[in-house]
Amino acid sequence: MFRTEEMDINMGPQHPSTHGVLRLVLNLDGEEIVDVRPVIGYLHRGVEKLSEHRTYAMIEPLTDRLDYVAAISENLGYCGAVEKLMGLQVPPRAQSIRVILAELQRIASHLLWLGTHALDLGAMTVFFYTFRERELILDLFEQFCGARLTYNAMRIGGLLEDVPPGWTDRVRHFLSIFPSRQKEYEDLLTVNRIWLGRTQGVGVLSREDAVALGTSGPTLRGSGVDYDVRKSQPYSSYDQFDFDVPLGTKGDTYDRYLVRMEEMRQSCRIIQQALDRLPEGEVRAKVPKYIKPPAGEVYHVVESPRGEQGFYIVSKGSEMPYRMRFRSPSFVNLQALPMMCKGRLIADVVAIIGSIDIVLGDVDR
Amino acid sequence: MTEDNHSKDGDATPPGDASGTPRPQPAPAPETSAAPPAPQPPPPAAPKPAAPAAPAVPPAAAPKANPLTAPVPSAALDRIREKFADRIVDVTYYASEVTVRLKQDRVEEIWRFLRDDPGLRFDFLSNLTAVHWPERPKPFEVVYHLFSITTRQRLNLKLDVGEVEQPPTASRVWPTANWHEREVFDLFGIRFHGHPDMTRILMTDEWVGHPLRKDYPLEGKPEDHMQLREVTTAEHVYTYDKSSIKGFGWKKEVEKTGEGRG
Repeated sequence: MFRTEEMDINMGPQHPSTHGVLRLVLNLDGEEIVDVRPVIGYLHRGVEKLSEHRTYAMIEPLTDRLDYVAAISENLGYCGAVEKLMGLQVPPRAQSIRVILAELQRIASHLLWLGTHALDLGAMTVFFYTFRERELILDLFEQFCGARLTYNAMRIGGLLEDVPPGWTDRVRHFLSIFPSRQKEYEDLLTVNRIWLGRTQGVGVLSREDAVALGTSGPTLRGSGVDYDVRKSQPYSSYDQFDFDVPLGTKGDTYDRYLVRMEEMRQSCRIIQQALDRLPEGEVRAKVPKYIKPPAGEVYHVVESPRGEQGFYIVSKGSEMPYRMRFRSPSFVNLQALPMMCKGRLIADVVAIIGSIDIVLGDVDR
Repeated sequence: MTEDNHSKDGDATPPGDASGTPRPQPAPAPETSAAPPAPQPPPPAAPKPAAPAAPAVPPAAAPKANPLTAPVPSAALDRIREKFADRIVDVTYYASEVTVRLKQDRVEEIWRFLRDDPGLRFDFLSNLTAVHWPERPKPFEVVYHLFSITTRQRLNLKLDVGEVEQPPTASRVWPTANWHEREVFDLFGIRFHGHPDMTRILMTDEWVGHPLRKDYPLEGKPEDHMQLREVTTAEHVYTYDKSSIKGFGWKKEVEKTGEGRG
């Protein structure tokens, strides 16, 4: 007379808490998750194919559109890959300014993540606070390159221009107010009983699984694996700065939250050091007008706010790449979602998606 | 926007000569400085590193001239040479990256060795992708970018794959390869043997053709280009009518004039 059966339910692709066009096919037993199948590709724009028909300078604006929440990290990785392919040396001043920009971008990206993640879990106030500070960073970017989201902030061989006058002082001003603002978010969340109840023990990813599934960034470090590209293969003068890599212990949603909060503090430390020791000089190496790297191939990785962002370029010596591959951290991290969700409730899926911090433009490319 | 970039570039470089060059260079960037001063020649059994341009000239001259292609020492490569010398097809170096091309048969054994060997521990498959070289006898190249979280080494592996060949799946060794291989199948049409779920991932399930192949048409309707061909493995492979393929209009313009883009 009574029977139970498993049920498939679609979540997305239009769902506010999936942060874009992510579709999840949830296999449910009551409210419990039996299996999750992510369905992606709704935002696939064929950027890799497009890149094969663009010159090297024309590809950088395309990289803005991959991870549009952290476009500067993409610019940095792409320019680094082409510079490695050409054997170019970037002037030290440009390297330091790139680090400042990338770390400001990391803070801005984590602020967007924190605001929306808290909003998903019902803590609406945090959203207004984090967007207040994110606005300050976007203003800094606007003063530097004129754009607020898709920056195209760098050029192969360095930067287009030096920072505008007074810009470093405004960055210092931001650094002076940000720690007290960050304390406001933490007062709202870190020891909040509801927040702890929604995040602790939710979406646990073991150390072994995190490595085997290739996750990177805070998703991997939340599980206690010490892998940060900035430390393991330093690029763009990151080896000159003193900073710590925060690690989680349990690998749950709360640990990933703590890791990102601490990363913002470490980013402030890096920016402070970079400002104090900002070298003088040129901001762009001597780059030929037509960029034609020699035949060869490189795989260059940088630490984006979401994890290991890889750029694989195959050059045949022409002015366009023969093959361009963007290894996006969101794509790989999303693969860990089914493992984190199994046995949890539907409400936890929202928390777990938020905690791995995917950007669908980066997943689908 | 690019034109603007160029004019800026032209303005900026001449003063750079005056103030930029005499400046002492502090710690050079780590990516490019990693090439050692005296690279030891590879063991005699190994094939020589691929010279980029002219393979006909004497072999010693070409790698010396270009620091980008200079060989770098690699503990991982030495271990593979010790244990699986007969499975290596060739070794290439570029910008201090080591790329080992392996034979396809029983390659899983080498993968497991690389992952589990206590001195190597390549437990992190960073990236897996493919490259299409239509002019080669085996037109596809599957590329594996490995990283070791414990030893912080990198190693690139390659497999040559023929048109209807099915390379073994890496997802049994590194589960992260699952989605990467689905993407390679989706965009290149390479089927991985033993993969748990060989379906499309980015394109829709009904999509015809594999967009990252070099012969994939860029213009027109699919039915103008595609011809269904039966192959021996009882799978359908789509080929393209090459005479109907046109590139982007402006691309031809670039090839003709060499101006205006860059």
